[in-house]
Amino acid sequence: MRSLSRRRLFLDGAALSSLGALGWTPSMARSAQGERKFLFFFASGAWDHTAVLEPHHGSDFVDHQQDSYLRELGGLRHTANDQTMEAVSRYFSRWGGKSAIVNGIDAHTVGHDTGRQMTMTGTSADNYPDWPTVLAAKGSGEYPLPHVVFGGPSFGGHLSSAVVRAGGGTLLDLIEGSIVGASDTPAPLLQGPSEQILDSFVYDRVAAFAGKRGSMPGASRGRTDSLLANMDRSMEIEGRKFEAGLGELGNTVLDQAIKATEMMRLGLSRTAMVGIPGGWDTHGGNAPQEVQFNNFFDALDQLMDHLASTPGLSTPWQIDETVIVCLSEFGRTPMFNGAQGKDHWPYNSALVCGSGIRGGRSLGAADSGSVGLPVDYASGQASDNGDILGSENVGAALLKLGGIDPETVLPGVQPFHALLREG
Amino acid sequence: MNQARTWTLLAVMTVSLASCKTEEEAKQGDFVQLSPRESLIRLSVDLRGVHPSEQELLAIEANPELYTAFVDRFLDDPGLPDTVADLMNQRLLTRTGDTYGLMAEGYDTEAVREAVNNEQLALVRRIVEHDLPYTELVTADYTMANPVLAEALNLEYPTGARGWEKAHYTDGRQHAGILTMSTTWLRYPSAGGNANRARANAVSKMLLCDDYLARPIVLNRAAVDQLTVDPETAISTNASCQSCHSTLDPLASHFFGFFVYDDDDPTEGGAAVYRPEREEGWRYYSGKTPGYYGVPTANIAELGQLIAEDQRFKDCAVQTVWQGLTQRLMVDEDWSEIAGHMSVFEDNDLTLKPLIRSIVTSEEYLAKYVLDEALSERMAGVKTVSPAQLSNIVHQSTGFRWEFAGRDLVTNQSSGVPVLLGGIDGTTIQHRNYKPSVGTVFVQKRLAYAAAWHVVDRDFAEDNAAPELLKWVLVTDTPDTNPAGFEEQIRQLYLTATGIPLAAKATEPAELATLWRQLYSVEGSSKKAWAGVISVVLRDPAVITY
Repeated sequence: MRSLSRRRLFLDGAALSSLGALGWTPSMARSAQGERKFLFFFASGAWDHTAVLEPHHGSDFVDHQQDSYLRELGGLRHTANDQTMEAVSRYFSRWGGKSAIVNGIDAHTVGHDTGRQMTMTGTSADNYPDWPTVLAAKGSGEYPLPHVVFGGPSFGGHLSSAVVRAGGGTLLDLIEGSIVGASDTPAPLLQGPSEQILDSFVYDRVAAFAGKRGSMPGASRGRTDSLLANMDRSMEIEGRKFEAGLGELGNTVLDQAIKATEMMRLGLSRTAMVGIPGGWDTHGGNAPQEVQFNNFFDALDQLMDHLASTPGLSTPWQIDETVIVCLSEFGRTPMFNGAQGKDHWPYNSALVCGSGIRGGRSLGAADSGSVGLPVDYASGQASDNGDILGSENVGAALLKLGGIDPETVLPGVQPFHALLREG
Repeated sequence: MNQARTWTLLAVMTVSLASCKTEEEAKQGDFVQLSPRESLIRLSVDLRGVHPSEQELLAIEANPELYTAFVDRFLDDPGLPDTVADLMNQRLLTRTGDTYGLMAEGYDTEAVREAVNNEQLALVRRIVEHDLPYTELVTADYTMANPVLAEALNLEYPTGARGWEKAHYTDGRQHAGILTMSTTWLRYPSAGGNANRARANAVSKMLLCDDYLARPIVLNRAAVDQLTVDPETAISTNASCQSCHSTLDPLASHFFGFFVYDDDDPTEGGAAVYRPEREEGWRYYSGKTPGYYGVPTANIAELGQLIAEDQRFKDCAVQTVWQGLTQRLMVDEDWSEIAGHMSVFEDNDLTLKPLIRSIVTSEEYLAKYVLDEALSERMAGVKTVSPAQLSNIVHQSTGFRWEFAGRDLVTNQSSGVPVLLGGIDGTTIQHRNYKPSVGTVFVQKRLAYAAAWHVVDRDFAEDNAAPELLKWVLVTDTPDTNPAGFEEQIRQLYLTATGIPLAAKATEPAELATLWRQLYSVEGSSKKAWAGVISVVLRDPAVITY
C-alpha cells in the first residue's frame, strides 16, 4: 500500500501543480513547532465591557452593579465584586502579569451580526476570513485541523477550507466512524486496514481529479485543491485521532478549551474558537453579566493552570506558546436603561493573555463616559496625537504576533503594537 | 408566454449555445463549454437536486439541442420549488433550527422546528409552483402553514388538509407576505430600546440586499457625546446618525404590532403574539411616522406594496437567484451579465421560472471555464453540491437516506452536518462554503459507507429476487469466477453514482476488482468487500461536484 504522507503528496505531479496554486511548495512544508497557537473565546450577544474590563467607578456616566469596585494591580485595572465575581479577582491575582486588557476599542457598529464580523475580521466586507482562520491558514506550519470551531462565530471567507467545525461533537463521531453504527439502519464498521485501503484509493481519485481540474484557470482550482488538501488532512487526523483523545469531547467551556489546547499541543491545530456561554444581550437586566463573567474567569483560571503545567510543543510549558484572546462583538451602553439592562454600545474592550503579550497592564483609553479616546499605538496610552483604536488594529496585532504581516491581509491597518512584548 | 417574452428568451439561448467552445476550439476570451452530458447533470442538480436519468443523458448526447427542452421540463419538475426555497433561504436566513419556544400539541419538537423554520419558504415554494409574481413575497394576503404551524400559531387552516397550504392569522393582523408572519419576527427580534430597528434592517437585508450595518459609521465627537446622554434625540438630529436612521426608523415603525417590550419577560408571550394596541408604539419610542424611503404609509400592507414596486427589491431577487445558481458572489463587474437576466425577469411579470431559465441558458452558466483571467477568477466551473443535493443524489443512486430517529442527518440542521458540508445554519454561518472542507471529506466518507452497506444488505438478501443495483454479480462471485460480471457491475456503479460512464479503456474496473480482493482478504466477507467498493465510488469527486 502506498504511503499516505505529505511527502508522497509532493511526489505526485498532479497534486504538485494543485498545491502550487495554493501557494504551497515543498520548501514550505514545515512542522508546527515554533509557531504560537491561538485560542479565541467569544461572548456572542455583546458583553458589558465595563462589568469587568473597563472600570468607571466614580463616573456619573457609567452605571456599575451594586457592591462592585475598582481594583488595581499595578498597571492593570478591573471591576471587582467580592459578592458575585470572586473568580475574576482570583484570575487577575494569579495571571494578571500575563494578561493585557485593551479598552476604548471602536467596534464601528452596534448590530450583532456586523459586530461579530467587524470584531473578528476587521472589516464588514463579505468573504474576508477572521483572525483565527488567517492565522491557521497562512502560518508557516501545516495542520490537519487548522482552525477548529467548537462554538462562537466563524468567518472562513476565501480561506474557509482551513476551518473545521466540531459540529456539536458530530465531527468527532464522523472521524471516529462510530456514527455509521448509530443510525436507524446501522452498518458494521470495517477494520482499520480496510479503511486505509479505501482512503488510499479515494485519495488517488481525488488527486487525479484535482490534477485534471487544477489545470483549469480560475476559481475552480481553489475548490479542487481544497478537496485534495482536506482529503490529506482527513487521513492524517484518522491516524492521530486516538492520540488527541478526540472521542471525549466535553461540553463545558473549560472542556472545550482544554481539548482545543491539547489539539494545539499535538500539532493538529493552530487556532480554535470557543463560545463563552451565557445570555450576554442583557437589554432586560444587566445582573447576569457578573455571574457569566465570573463563570468564565473561573474556567480561564483553570485553563491557565493547565497550560502552565503542561509541556508545550516547542516550549517548556504550553502557556509560553499559547495566546488567549477574549472578545465580544461590541460593548454595552454605560448607563442602565429603564429595565436595569444595558443596550448596544460601539466601544468595547478585549482581554488578551499568554505568549508574547505585554501583560500586567490596561491599554487603550476611554473617557468617563466610556467613549474611546485617541491612543498612541506604541505605548497604548491616551495621546492627543494618537488615533482611535479599532477592532481591526487589535486583530492586526494578533496577526503580527502570529508571524503574519498584517499588511498582506488588511493593507493600511496599523497593528496595535502596545499589546506585543516585542513591539 | 407572450411573444415578446419568447423572443427575449430565444435571444438569450441563441447567444449561449452559439458562443461556447470546446477546449480544442477555445481562444482567449472564449467560454469553454461543458459536454452535453455534463451540462444536463449541472442543470438537473441545480433545478431538481438530483442527477438526470441515463435515458435523459443519452438523449442529450444524441441531440445537444435538446438542452432548452430539458430546461423547460426541469422547470416544471416537482423538485424545483424546494430548490428555489433553498436558494432563498440563503437570503432570508430563516432556517435556523430554532423553535423559539413554540410548541404544538400532538407534535414533537422536530416537527415544530421544521414548521417554524419554513413559513416564509413555503410561500417561496408556492410562488414557484403557481408561477406567481415574486412580489407575492411581500403582498400575499395570507400566510402558509402546515398542521403543525397552524396548531402552534392558532392559524385558520383548511380542515382535513395535511401539507403546506394557504392559511390565515386570526388575531386581526393584516397579511403582507413574510412581513406579517410571526416566525419572521421571532427570527428577527428587536426588543426594548432597539425599537424594531434590527427588524427594519433585516427587512432591508432580506428584500433589498442592503445591510445598513455594512455602512461605515462615522461618528464625530459631538455625536458620541449626544448619544451617551440622549440617544433618541441624537438619532433624530445628528447628521451622521440620520444618514441611516432617517430611513431606518420610519421602516421600523411598521412593526410595533409585533413589538416585545422585554424578550425575557414570559408574560409578553414573544413576537408570536400580535398586539394591535402597540401598533402606534413608534410614537413613544422613535417618534418617526411609518414610511418607506420618504413615502408615508398607512399600514404594513402598504409597506409591502411599496417594497414590491422598489427596483432594489427586483434587483435583490435576481442577485439572490443568480448567486445561488452560479455559486458566485456578485461584484460590480457582474452587473452587465446580470442586466440581461433582470430584463427577462421584468418582462415576465417578475415570475421566477423565466429568470431561472435565463440564467441556466447563459454561456456563463454552461461554461466549464473561460479563457479570461479576471472573469475566470469569479467563475465557478466546478460547482459543489449542497447538503440537500448530496442527500438526494445518494438516495437516487442507492435508495438510502442516512436517518437518525427518522431525520435525515445530512440535511437536519440540529445535527451540525449541513454546516460541515458547507451549508449555512442561518445565524453564525450565513454564507455557503463552496470549498470542500475536512468536514465534507468525513461526511462523504461515512455517508458513502452507510449507503453502500444498505445496498449490499438489500441486494444480497437471500429473498431479494430483483436487486436494484448489484445486478451483475452474486454475493458468492469473485473477480476470478465472474470477471465479466465484476467489470460490468463496476461500470454501472460509476454510471449510477456520477452520471459519467467510464471510458472503454478505463482502468477503474480492474482497480476496483483488486480493491475488492484486498478488502475480502482483510474482512473475509463478500458483503463487506462490496460495501467498500461501492463506498469508494460514492466518494468519487464527481459525486460532490458537478
